[in-house]
Amino acid sequence: MMDETVRSTRGADRWSRFVDEHRELLTVSAVLLALVVIAVFAAPNFSSSRNLFNVLRQAVALGLVSVGQTAAILVGGIDLSVGATISLVGVYTTGLMANYTSPGAVVLIVLAMILLALVIGFTNSLVITRLQVAPFIATMGVGAIVQGLVLLYAKRPGGKIAPGWDFFAEGKIGPVPFPVLFLLVFVVLTGLYLRRTATGRHIVATGGSEMIARLSGIVTWRVISYAYMFSTFMAALSGLYLTSRLGAGDPLMGGLAYDRYDLDSITAVLIGGTRLGGGKGGVAGTIIGVLIVSVLNNIFNLTGVNPYMQWVIKGLIFIGAVAIYATRRPKGRS
Amino acid sequence: MVEHLVEMRDITKVFPGVVALDDVSFACEAGEVHAVVGENGAGKSTLMKILAGVYQPDAGEILIDGHPVRITSPHEAQRLGIGIIYQELNLLPDMTIAENVFLGREPRGTFGIVDSRKLEQQAHNVLRRLGVDIDPHLRLARLSVAQAQMVEIAKALSLDARLVIMDEPSATLGGRDLEYLFDVIRALKQQGVGVVYISHRIAEIFRIADRVTVFKDGKTVGTQDVSQIDRPTLVRMMIGRMLSEAFPRRGGAPGEEVLRVEHLTCKGRLDDVSLKVRRGEIVGIAGLVGAGRTELAEAIFGARPLDGGEVFIQGVKVKIPSPRHALARKLGFLTEDRNEGGLVLGLSVRENVALPSLDRRQQAGFVDQRIERQVVTSIAQDLSIRTPSLAQDVENLSGGNRQKVVLAKWLVSGPDLLIFDEPTRGIDVGAKEEIWNLMRTLADQGKAVLMISSELLEIIGMSDRIAVFHRGRVVGEMPAGTATEEAVMMLATYGEAHDG
Repeated sequence: MMDETVRSTRGADRWSRFVDEHRELLTVSAVLLALVVIAVFAAPNFSSSRNLFNVLRQAVALGLVSVGQTAAILVGGIDLSVGATISLVGVYTTGLMANYTSPGAVVLIVLAMILLALVIGFTNSLVITRLQVAPFIATMGVGAIVQGLVLLYAKRPGGKIAPGWDFFAEGKIGPVPFPVLFLLVFVVLTGLYLRRTATGRHIVATGGSEMIARLSGIVTWRVISYAYMFSTFMAALSGLYLTSRLGAGDPLMGGLAYDRYDLDSITAVLIGGTRLGGGKGGVAGTIIGVLIVSVLNNIFNLTGVNPYMQWVIKGLIFIGAVAIYATRRPKGRS
Repeated sequence: MVEHLVEMRDITKVFPGVVALDDVSFACEAGEVHAVVGENGAGKSTLMKILAGVYQPDAGEILIDGHPVRITSPHEAQRLGIGIIYQELNLLPDMTIAENVFLGREPRGTFGIVDSRKLEQQAHNVLRRLGVDIDPHLRLARLSVAQAQMVEIAKALSLDARLVIMDEPSATLGGRDLEYLFDVIRALKQQGVGVVYISHRIAEIFRIADRVTVFKDGKTVGTQDVSQIDRPTLVRMMIGRMLSEAFPRRGGAPGEEVLRVEHLTCKGRLDDVSLKVRRGEIVGIAGLVGAGRTELAEAIFGARPLDGGEVFIQGVKVKIPSPRHALARKLGFLTEDRNEGGLVLGLSVRENVALPSLDRRQQAGFVDQRIERQVVTSIAQDLSIRTPSLAQDVENLSGGNRQKVVLAKWLVSGPDLLIFDEPTRGIDVGAKEEIWNLMRTLADQGKAVLMISSELLEIIGMSDRIAVFHRGRVVGEMPAGTATEEAVMMLATYGEAHDG
């Protein structure tokens, strides 16, 4: 029952198979490369080392949250509560650090923030799996509740960070910025988690088809909750990083005031080739997507594009990224 | 009291609009191959899904080795040693064969990391047992339907289950693959595994099964030792009477040609298909799943782009680039899945029926309610659609009545040709006969009918002419009078007439 096409997987075929299976990754890498070339010519300041490090530091905040978002999208959902989670973590962290600055207290604060984020993620998954609310609506609703609580606690930017906390964003290990290493570690670990561990594969399988996963004996509601908890966990890390970078908290830091981490993280994940609807993709693509979004933001800023115009352009890219993959999606068997 | 490997007692399961199982009891012994037969919708798949933990029974109990158990999830079913091979393939196209086979049961090391080497080794071993030599690294999307079916079987075997349920495993298998499957079943039997074998192919049951239980209308008709019965008896148990009595009489001489296709080709799906349908005639399209039957209907109906070939309607060459054009050419297409492709479940009977022809009954942009009501009422009466009122939402109707609503929807526009794709799938037997009679009546009224069906009894009982598909080609045409189940099956499976 074997035909030759399936058997011969050597030499040139192996290369073509590699291209075939990583087509999306190769495509977005090429896009990133093209964008960098454009940036070098369009914005003379782009290639200064100061600016490049700046791009990377910006990319870390988006990178952390996008790595988490990848899991939420892979499992077949989407997480619109990450922006609010970032705001929450930012405000509470700086609020607490204004009063407690000992290293022990900082550790406790960080753990508390992570716990809080996990609760938000778990709540998301409960609303989705138990109340059967579509992920889009569920996470938007939970996100609104969280954002509301944040604004009840703090109406304007404030708070402080503990001494030494700025190392997170500004520190260097050798010549390399610490946050870049930090992100890299999480990208690698997440990559291994999704590809090599049973739970990670169950996330992908559940996104591929919840029914098939369930019939295969996977307890899908549990897998879904892991994915959403991972998403908000990474959002918390992103929030913590932003407090270090900004030196203060802001009730809108995850959402309206600065970058829009909900939309940007989803854009990065989808540009990176993870399939909306789940079941295919991974963090490697997401990181390239993050770099594309970050470089794009940087070009906008260097060339002085009107911020509202930036929204318009990013909206178009967002729709474009989804549309390209949606229209190319293979049709199922009849 | 005798302890059965698995025993189901007095199981009842009700779905909205239909009693799927009505006080059914069933048992399978260790080392037994127990065939389960019955028409689609007879309740056999529902019973098996209860065993597999997909559905919960509304009443009744399940015993394993004489101990009552509750099978609350597929996970629990696996734990109890029940493996099931589903009719529709439950495999993920983006994962490898090995990952698919052991999905949910991956061998794990520290930190829950999957032991890939062990995974592939085990997958390889299971495939070997099936006589299949495929690289477990391959992604599923690269396999043929038959290969994927073998992977599905491997998945169930890898459970080392005590009871293996096979829901029509042979639907897409032929020849050597089928023999391998039978070898595996015999081996399982030797190991003392109980096998429940659901099939439509009566010939297979006499080859492989020890006992057979017949389902009909959500009840069991009876359980027999296979050695004690013959084929006509089994068929009679299945349809409640002799085959010839269940179907309407055949049509008279056909009239003028309504549709002719010549050399229709869709890459990878249809290969040089030529066919014609005349007024007053029912042409049955037989073939295995994936043989190109539905694709033919879609191609004719403008829902699938053609790579070659010509379509003639009443002798005139036409182009049908979209379903809208097909409607204008007086074609109607009742899709396989009534709920997804045919009806808007949340709309009423009246709104559904009126949907495709709304454009023609507008007054200043509003639908003329009075005319709509008149037209729909008269058709609903003709088809005897049983609903409390035409304002009833379609989702509250039974399968048979839903199919009539779909039919009504197409009849409003007065089609010359109707294509039925699996017209009676999931419909109970009484309603089936009504649909069959309606189809014959429509043909007698001068319409041409193209009927795609996987049910051999239906193909043979209803068609005036049968075209058999195999891998996108028409491999044979036969007049219904002389066609037998075996002849059609052979053609559909091997693409040529064949003995044994």
